[in-house]
Amino acid sequence: MKRFASVFTCAGALALSVALVGCSTVQPWQKGNLAKSEMSFDHDPLQTRFEEHTYFSKEGASGGMSVGGGGCGCN
Amino acid sequence: MKTGSILAAAMALPGMLPSAHAQVTVPNATLIQFKYLYYRDYQDSGNRITVKSPALYLLAPISESWVFEIGAVYDSITGASPYYHTVLSGASGEGVEDKRAAGDITVTKYFGRTAISARAAYSTEDDYKSVAGGLTLRHATPDQNTTFTLGGGYSSDQISPADGPAFTRTKTTVDGIVGISQVLSKNDTAQVNLYYAQQRGYLTDPYKALYGVDQRPDKRDQMAALIRWNHYFEGLKASLRTSYRFYHDDWEINAHTGTVEWAQELPYGFTLTPSVRYTSQSAAFFYYDPVYDAALGPPFPPGYVNNPNGFYTSDQRLSAFGGITPGIKVAKSFVGGWSVDAKAEYYEQRADWRVGGDGSPGLQDFKAQLYQVGVSKKF
Amino acid sequence: MASHCQVRVYAPDESVAREWSDAAIAEVRRIESKYSRYRDDSVTAAINRAAGGAAIPVDAETAALLDFASALHAQSEGLFDLTSGVLRGAWDFKAQRVPSQEAIGKLLTHVGWSKVTWLAPTLRLDAGMEIDFGGIGKEYAADRAATLLMDLGARHGLVNLGGDVRIIGPHADGNAWKIAVQDPRGNPGATIAHLEVSHGAMATSGDYERYFESNGRRYSHLLDPRTGWPVEFWRSVSVVAPIAIAAGACATVAMLTPVDRALKFLDAQGVRYLAVDAVGHQHSK
Repeated sequence: MKRFASVFTCAGALALSVALVGCSTVQPWQKGNLAKSEMSFDHDPLQTRFEEHTYFSKEGASGGMSVGGGGCGCN
Repeated sequence: MKTGSILAAAMALPGMLPSAHAQVTVPNATLIQFKYLYYRDYQDSGNRITVKSPALYLLAPISESWVFEIGAVYDSITGASPYYHTVLSGASGEGVEDKRAAGDITVTKYFGRTAISARAAYSTEDDYKSVAGGLTLRHATPDQNTTFTLGGGYSSDQISPADGPAFTRTKTTVDGIVGISQVLSKNDTAQVNLYYAQQRGYLTDPYKALYGVDQRPDKRDQMAALIRWNHYFEGLKASLRTSYRFYHDDWEINAHTGTVEWAQELPYGFTLTPSVRYTSQSAAFFYYDPVYDAALGPPFPPGYVNNPNGFYTSDQRLSAFGGITPGIKVAKSFVGGWSVDAKAEYYEQRADWRVGGDGSPGLQDFKAQLYQVGVSKKF
Repeated sequence: MASHCQVRVYAPDESVAREWSDAAIAEVRRIESKYSRYRDDSVTAAINRAAGGAAIPVDAETAALLDFASALHAQSEGLFDLTSGVLRGAWDFKAQRVPSQEAIGKLLTHVGWSKVTWLAPTLRLDAGMEIDFGGIGKEYAADRAATLLMDLGARHGLVNLGGDVRIIGPHADGNAWKIAVQDPRGNPGATIAHLEVSHGAMATSGDYERYFESNGRRYSHLLDPRTGWPVEFWRSVSVVAPIAIAAGACATVAMLTPVDRALKFLDAQGVRYLAVDAVGHQHSK
C-alpha cells in the first residue's frame, strides 16, 4: 500500500505541475493546430480499442485510459 | 471598459471559433467507423492463435447537449494457446475455435463546460460473459485549456469453462480514474491519469488450471499512472505523440510502458505514422520458471506437494519480459469526410528485453503480427 | 448582399475546394436570408412586424446575437444600437437633403435599445421601433463561414464579405495576407496601406461608404444613435481582431467616438488598428 501512496503522490505532483505550466493562457483562436485530429488523445477510437484489448490479453499490465471496460476470456 | 470586453462578448456567439481539442464541447459531426483486425501470434515451435475481428463505432450528437456512442466487435479466434509456459497443445495444431461478440453504448449529456457519460458494455463468448458499466464526469475551465476527469466503473464477469469439470465462477472488478488534460501551448497538449482497480473472485485461467498448474489469489489490486504528451511541429507539419505508463499491482507486477508515434502530414491528404512501443514488466510473485518438480515432472513446480494450495502460475503473460512493437500506419482522407487507413505492427516479447535484462528464463519468445484496415466517415 | 463577396481557400484538390466553398457560401446565404430586412420571411421582418404587440420568441442563434447586441450597447455607452435603423427614414441619401431637427426628433423616439424588452427567449419592441442586424450581419456571416471551413479541415484562406474579412489561415506558403485599406478620400480601389494579417479578422468602418455632401459638409450613414446625426471624428477606422464581429463592433464604436477617447478605447480593447482622422492623419497600432 505504501508503494501505491508514493506513486500516487508523485503522479499527483506531476499532474499539478502540468496544470500550472499551462498558466500562460492559450487563446481559442490559437488552437488551430490542436484541433487537428492527429493531435487529439483519442483520434482513432477503434484502433485504441483493438490495441488496448491486444495488450490486455498478452501482458500482465493494463489500464490507465478508461473505466468500466469489462473483461473477456482472452486474458 | 474591461480589456478586450468586446472580443469576450463575441466569443460567446456560436460558431465563431473552430472546435478544438481538450475542450468539453458537444461534437459538431457524426462519425461512423469500421475497422478490421487480423491478429496472429506464434513462437518458434509453432503457431498459436489467430484472431479476425471486424468492429464498428458510431458517434452521433443527438441534440444540442446529448451525444450517443455505440461500439461493437466480433472476434473469431482459432488456434492454440499454451497449456503451461510455452508448451503448446498438440503438435497437430488442433486447438480452439471461439467466437466473442461484444457491444457497448455510451450516452453523454453536456451542461456547458461539464459532461457526464454513462456507459454500459456487454461481452459474450462460449465460456465467458461480462457485463460492465461506468460513469465519467469531465469538466473544463472557462478558457477550455484544462479539463478534469473523474470516473468509476464496475464489471461482473462469469466464467464457465468449456473443458474439464463444468462450473461457473464470477469475477468482479471495480475501477476508478482521475485525470487532468492541459493545453500547454498552441502546439502542446498533455494528459495525466491515475487509475485504480480492484478485482475479486475467480482470477485464474481455467484452461491453464486444467492442463497445467494455475492457482491465483482471489484478489488483485492494481494501479496505473499514465502521462501523455502531444506536440505539433509547425514547420514539419507533423505531430509527435508520446506516452508513458507506470503500472503496479499486489501480485507484484510492475511495468513500464512507453509509446512514441510520429504522424507526418503528406501531400494529397495522406498521413504516415511510424510508431514504436516498448514495455517491460516484472513477474507475478507466484510465477514459476519452467523448472519442474523432480518427482512429479512438468507441469508441477518444485515442491508442489509441500504446498498444494499455494499460488502458482506458469502463464507467460505473468512472467518477466520486455516487449517491443514497431508499427507503421498510412491514412488518406477524401472529399466528403471519408478516410481510409491501414496499419501493420510486429510485436515480440523477450526475457532479455526487460529493463535490466532480468527476464524470466526458459520461455520461447512470443511473437505476433497485427494488421488493421479501416474506413471512416464524418458528417 | 449588395457588396462583393469572396471565399478564397487553399485545398488539396479542386473537388475539395469546391465542396468547401459551396459549404461556406451556403452558410453566408443562410444568414443573409435569415436576417435580411428585405425579406418578408426573415427573422428581422417577423420581429419588426410584431412591434407594438406581444413579445415573440426567438431561436437560439438570434438570442445569442441579441445578447451580443445588449452587451455591446452597455459597453459602448449607447453608441452601438440595433434599433437605430429607423433613422434611415430621415436620412435619404438619394435626395441628398439634410433633414430638420424636428424630423429626426420624431424618429429618435423610436430609437434606443433600452426601450427593448429582451428577456430570453422573448423579445418585444414598442410600436414604431425596428431591429436591424445590418451592422453586424456581414461580420457574423464571415466568422461563421470561416469557422465552418476550419472545422472542415481548411487551414489556409479567407472569407471576405464586402471588405469584412475573417482569415482561416495564411497563404499556403506561410505568408500573411496583405489586406488593402481603402483610401477614404480616393477612388474606389485606391489604397493608403496594406495590413498584414495571418490569423483573425479585419473590419473597416468609413464615412465614404454612403454619404452626401451639402454646403461643403459631408453627411455619412454613420449616425450617433443618441442624437440621430452623423459624426465627423474619423474618415475611416480599420480594426484587426481575432473575430470579425468583434473587429466590426470596435470599428463602429470608434468611428462614433472623438479621436482621443476612440484611441484609448481601441487600446483598451487590445486590438490592432489603422484609423484616418477628419484631417487625414493616420493613427495606427
